[in-house]
Amino acid sequence: MALHDSAIVGYAETKIVPKSEVDVWELGAEILEALLQRTGFEKAEIDGLVLSSSSTGAGNIFWSQTTADQLALELDFCQTVDIGGSSPLGAVARASAAIDAGLCETVLCLFADTAVAENNGRPRSYGAEWTTPYGYLGAPNAFGMLSSYYDGYFGLDFQALGKLAVAQRAHAVLNDNACEKLRKPITVEDYLNSRMINDPIRLLDCVMPCDGASGLIMTKRKTVEKRGFGKIAVPVGYGERTNFGAAQSVVDPTVTGHRAAGEKAFAQAGLEPADIASFHPYDDFIIAIMMQLEMLGFCAHGRGAGFIHERDFLFSGDLPLNTGGGQISAGQCGLAGGGTNLVEAVRQLFGEGGARQVKNKANALVTGIGGIPYGRNWNTSTVLILTPDA
Amino acid sequence: MREVNDLFEIERPLPPERSFSRPFWAATREKKLVIQYDRAADAWQFYPRPTSIYSGLRADLEWREVSGRGQVFSFTIVRRARPPFRDHEPYLLAMVTLDEGVNVMSNLIRCPLEEVRIGLRVKPCWQPLPDGRHLLLFEPDR
Repeated sequence: MALHDSAIVGYAETKIVPKSEVDVWELGAEILEALLQRTGFEKAEIDGLVLSSSSTGAGNIFWSQTTADQLALELDFCQTVDIGGSSPLGAVARASAAIDAGLCETVLCLFADTAVAENNGRPRSYGAEWTTPYGYLGAPNAFGMLSSYYDGYFGLDFQALGKLAVAQRAHAVLNDNACEKLRKPITVEDYLNSRMINDPIRLLDCVMPCDGASGLIMTKRKTVEKRGFGKIAVPVGYGERTNFGAAQSVVDPTVTGHRAAGEKAFAQAGLEPADIASFHPYDDFIIAIMMQLEMLGFCAHGRGAGFIHERDFLFSGDLPLNTGGGQISAGQCGLAGGGTNLVEAVRQLFGEGGARQVKNKANALVTGIGGIPYGRNWNTSTVLILTPDA
Repeated sequence: MREVNDLFEIERPLPPERSFSRPFWAATREKKLVIQYDRAADAWQFYPRPTSIYSGLRADLEWREVSGRGQVFSFTIVRRARPPFRDHEPYLLAMVTLDEGVNVMSNLIRCPLEEVRIGLRVKPCWQPLPDGRHLLLFEPDR
């Protein structure tokens, strides 16, 4: 039994827009059609559907079933993964496990959200009782507080953080699917001078809420061979940690579940951080990228800025970073946004990066971040390592 | 001195209560702070949970009154908010580590920006809610 007994054989994504004019199910249909055309599968051959979280779908307690009905899919396995921004990576792992367990053979992983046009989410959490009365707005405030904690203990180097923002923006300029409004180059000065939102979080630290969809088809390795798929992406390592520090009353917010999830994924893959060919971390805030570099072992805890100054994060550099622009420069498709960096990693492994194609296609590391807990960092950390063969 | 808003004038969203958090809210009517203590683990927890975060067992949990004194763990200056906080920015949000060793989120009031820092000693102050309960806020313990 192993993750690598299945493979990703196709990817698709829509243009990312500030507010969708079309229904979330029409975006889903666009992804399905593109994947069928790309892979040559008939619709009837898809026997599994795994959806990411979706703010639009959040009001519907039968989300995966009704989406299957809209797309006329007859299935042996059907579920929604509800670990927020981590759910696209979680979907790949669950699809792989379901295929491995014989529950299904060919799975559509669909990440669609129109959170701006139609947000039906109604969170039932600690929020109304313990944070909303204080004017707490969720993620921007949480990242403001964790950034001030980081600053107090290690010092924040805004030049280093700005370097990450600039590299991602340069990639969005090369990505036709990135939100058009964001496809203008920026400089470190632009980053430093952008408006303060929650000190020390600036506007250019943040994602812009957008609408859009992406998706993958995963199938059994036997089917890959039988049908002669030339380009595949194989999950060779996966780790997932929810509620890191759950049994502690004071949690250092600069330490995250990515440490444990990363160790597991690297061990499964037989790889180390130095082996990583391209890096596609979940980016809801710029500082999250630096924290993940530290937690995944690219550098020591608290030493992210020094590492960032030493490396070249452009697609042509020695550690290509979110080569489609990441969510911060391509736009965040609600709770489906984790699919943006995931699909970009698959595109790079397929050698279809076009003007932004990375040189080293040996592997790609993708991560997820999902949910904001009370006064810590995030609920779920996921790490996925893909290779073009295994 | 750069001032931040103390938010006294706004009507804050009323916090709901859950079956397991009622003792906390009942105590606030008398401006008392009670938090959950796990006798077996000899450790405190906040926010109130339906069970012990240490053992998953409810039997060892009890409510104990604490002073509410502590120090700033982290903070942010909110410069863009949603109603009813909009147009009352900037204001301070902070995590405060109580002396018992739990982190509590709240607003820091009567605190000029020059004064706010990690490690700042703070004490509780209570803002009345329209239903007789009080909301726990913190101010510098000068």
